[in-house]
Amino acid sequence: MSFTAFYRRNLGFFKLAIASNLEYRLNFLLDSVFQPLVNSIVEMVLWMAIFKGAQAIEIAGFTQNYYLAYALWGTFVARITVNWMYEFRMIEEIDTGSINGLLVRPMHYYEYYLSQLLGYKLVTTTVSFIFPLTLITLFDLPTQWSRIPAAMALIFYYVIFVYGMSFCIASLAFIFNKVNSLTVTKNLALWLLTGELFPLDLMPENIKNLFLALPFSCGVYIPVGYITGRIDSSVLIQGFQTTTIGLVIVSVLGFFLWRKGMKQYAGTGA
Amino acid sequence: MSFAIETHDLSRTFESYKKSEGLWNSVKGFWNRQTVQKIALKPTNIKIEAGQIVGLVGSNGAGKTTLLKLLSGLIAPTTGEAKVLGYNPFERKTEFLRRISLLLGQKNQLWWDITPLDSYALLAKIYDLDETVAKNKVKELSHLLHCEHVLETQLRRLSLGERMKMEIIGSLLHSPEVLYLDEPTIGLDIVAQEIIREFLNEYVKNRGPTVILTSHYMDDIAKLADRLLLISKGGIVYDGTVDGFVAKSEKLHIVTYKFEGEPEQRSEITKSELNSFLNSVSNKGQLESFKIEETDFEHVIHSFLQKESRVF
Repeated sequence: MSFTAFYRRNLGFFKLAIASNLEYRLNFLLDSVFQPLVNSIVEMVLWMAIFKGAQAIEIAGFTQNYYLAYALWGTFVARITVNWMYEFRMIEEIDTGSINGLLVRPMHYYEYYLSQLLGYKLVTTTVSFIFPLTLITLFDLPTQWSRIPAAMALIFYYVIFVYGMSFCIASLAFIFNKVNSLTVTKNLALWLLTGELFPLDLMPENIKNLFLALPFSCGVYIPVGYITGRIDSSVLIQGFQTTTIGLVIVSVLGFFLWRKGMKQYAGTGA
Repeated sequence: MSFAIETHDLSRTFESYKKSEGLWNSVKGFWNRQTVQKIALKPTNIKIEAGQIVGLVGSNGAGKTTLLKLLSGLIAPTTGEAKVLGYNPFERKTEFLRRISLLLGQKNQLWWDITPLDSYALLAKIYDLDETVAKNKVKELSHLLHCEHVLETQLRRLSLGERMKMEIIGSLLHSPEVLYLDEPTIGLDIVAQEIIREFLNEYVKNRGPTVILTSHYMDDIAKLADRLLLISKGGIVYDGTVDGFVAKSEKLHIVTYKFEGEPEQRSEITKSELNSFLNSVSNKGQLESFKIEETDFEHVIHSFLQKESRVF
């Protein structure tokens, strides 16, 4: 198989995700504009209330502005690094047998949804970037703009790792059929582990170090901490390393789960 | 002789679990499940020559779709092996998948949210086809199927018949050498069925792919297939020509008759019973009308399938 053919079809999947999502205009606007807006406002109000209630100028060494910047960037980044939609779709397809139409095509299911996920994330990221950009500028919150490209590189690298986890969970649907609860449980755990719920600085030092040693912290804390100046580039580099290890682990696991699943698959529904 | 499709003791068993009625049994089933093995396809040996059109007929659950899934590499066999165009289907090699096509009449395989033209452009990329060649092929096939006017409408907005035509174009775009057609005319009105049947007839005669066709409409089989495989309870029970099957089956006659002042009656009888039946009817009274018809292929198959499903 030539690389050109591989590139051509994956670019096709990438564009398919964009075209499919733009087809439903209201849903697209709600997903990429209103949801991040509401989310950003809620997070900002929450941190303002915490600081007011605590009557403190700093919490864990950072001022209110740092937390507001963290909340805004955190909301933005977390929306990129979470994967509900495609994971549910993959589980559904395997459970109902509608995957059959894809399995007989000369491509791999893994690449099909990875390219779609990246296409979808790229378009929603571009549109929703307007919120941190506007609000950070408006409230003059701490942000090191020159650090954004490196942080975005880590974010999209982490998205591939997140997709690897989704692929493993979806492969379990060959054996257990309905595994949606696993997606919910995993995403709830990631809410804490990524630092989306609150910055990892608020954790006891040993727990924070443990979380930093796991790839999940690249889902929010490391890129956002790096953008807002909480952490330096050595932690960002560590993030690339842990994500690489995580990616290798989920890829190997995904390979075996897929192989086992396909052997058991009954081709339900058609 | 080289065969396009060859199976050797190919079988598949599915595992499920038995659950008795009621809530308590649902609770019990949470920790204690009684697994049941169901043989969907018994060890099967078939050889299909390149260019042959095979009609695969059987009642629901007989094993037709399981055989197609095994031959297209969707599911793994429990025992035995298959070779399609020299490949083991379940290895699902790219070179193999590029040369086959599976059309599932009850499933959408094109993309729901985009237009057929966009779907075909994507398929051209998946199958690594030349863009111009693919576009010309779409033009040609859509002309033959009389559906050029819906190519730019989202799939979800099309009628069932239009959707099926779009699916057929999608499945033929890469000129497959082996074509599996699973119920291509299911749920369609008579006109749409006829158009698709005519189209497939022309296509397979001109391009010569090896075809396995399943259908509940015997017209599809009679018109397209030059070989018939009858499958029942997971096993092949007849392998031969359509005419051969009709000749081999005990020919039935349908006798329709009416006595004066009574409603019309209809009986199905075999050739050997015909004389005694005629005598008994003529002795019963004054006949107002009387008609004898020989059954056709469709009727013979239906009688066969009816008999087979009663045994379950």
